[in-house]
Amino acid sequence: MQLQIPALADHIDIVRLCLFGIASKMGFSYEDIEDMKVAVSEACNNAILHKHQDDKQGIIDICFEMDDSALSIIIKDNGPGFDFEETTKKASPLRETEVADLRIGGLGIYLMQALMDKVEVMTGNGTVVIMTKFKTSTNSAKEI
Amino acid sequence: MGFRSFQISQQDNEKAYIFRLSGELDLSVATQFRIELEPIVNKADKMLIFDFEHLKYIDSTGIGIIISVLKIRKELKAEFYVRNIPSGIQRLLDLTGVSNYLDEGLDEGV
Repeated sequence: MQLQIPALADHIDIVRLCLFGIASKMGFSYEDIEDMKVAVSEACNNAILHKHQDDKQGIIDICFEMDDSALSIIIKDNGPGFDFEETTKKASPLRETEVADLRIGGLGIYLMQALMDKVEVMTGNGTVVIMTKFKTSTNSAKEI
Repeated sequence: MGFRSFQISQQDNEKAYIFRLSGELDLSVATQFRIELEPIVNKADKMLIFDFEHLKYIDSTGIGIIISVLKIRKELKAEFYVRNIPSGIQRLLDLTGVSNYLDEGLDEGV
């Protein structure tokens, strides 16, 4: 299933609503759906924040791939991309002792990694982010 | 858009500037929130309180605003508290480590 939105922050909630519908139908737990909503929004945020400066109307393609055990969400933009590997290295929870030393960047990417089971990123002509959540937690909940 | 529910209501009292947030705090409303905060965040005469009771969602942009407010208030040696954090949002603040720097300030009697 596919969705295309203008690369504008006003439309990210539409992506969350679609994701909610699909993940609910697949039987994901409420917590898993909340996790995926944040991760997918962060990928869209990156696409919007890193689009070409002169590109008022970039687009983001979102593709949902479902099977019995997992949901993969593929987020593709046509922006200039950014150094994902370098940003990922800096992405971590805050550990500084002093509030004055806290930094703000990198938390979005850290959340994507922390909330999904698998995150792959390809940069080149635009950026493609592939995020996967497995349905394990729902299954184990049923067994209990 | 009718269903976009982010709202800020500011209710001050004699001890505190209180911002009650509701709906979804994401990239699309971050600028609006920053603009509303700007006249208040540097005022050290009272404590600053965010009440998240009716906040449904936050992203890294919203978490970034909390971090910058933390830094500004620390620099001013002014009090800043975040209260009534729903469990889903608490989880994100725990994961990112931000909750280590937050306090509810419940001993302050406000």
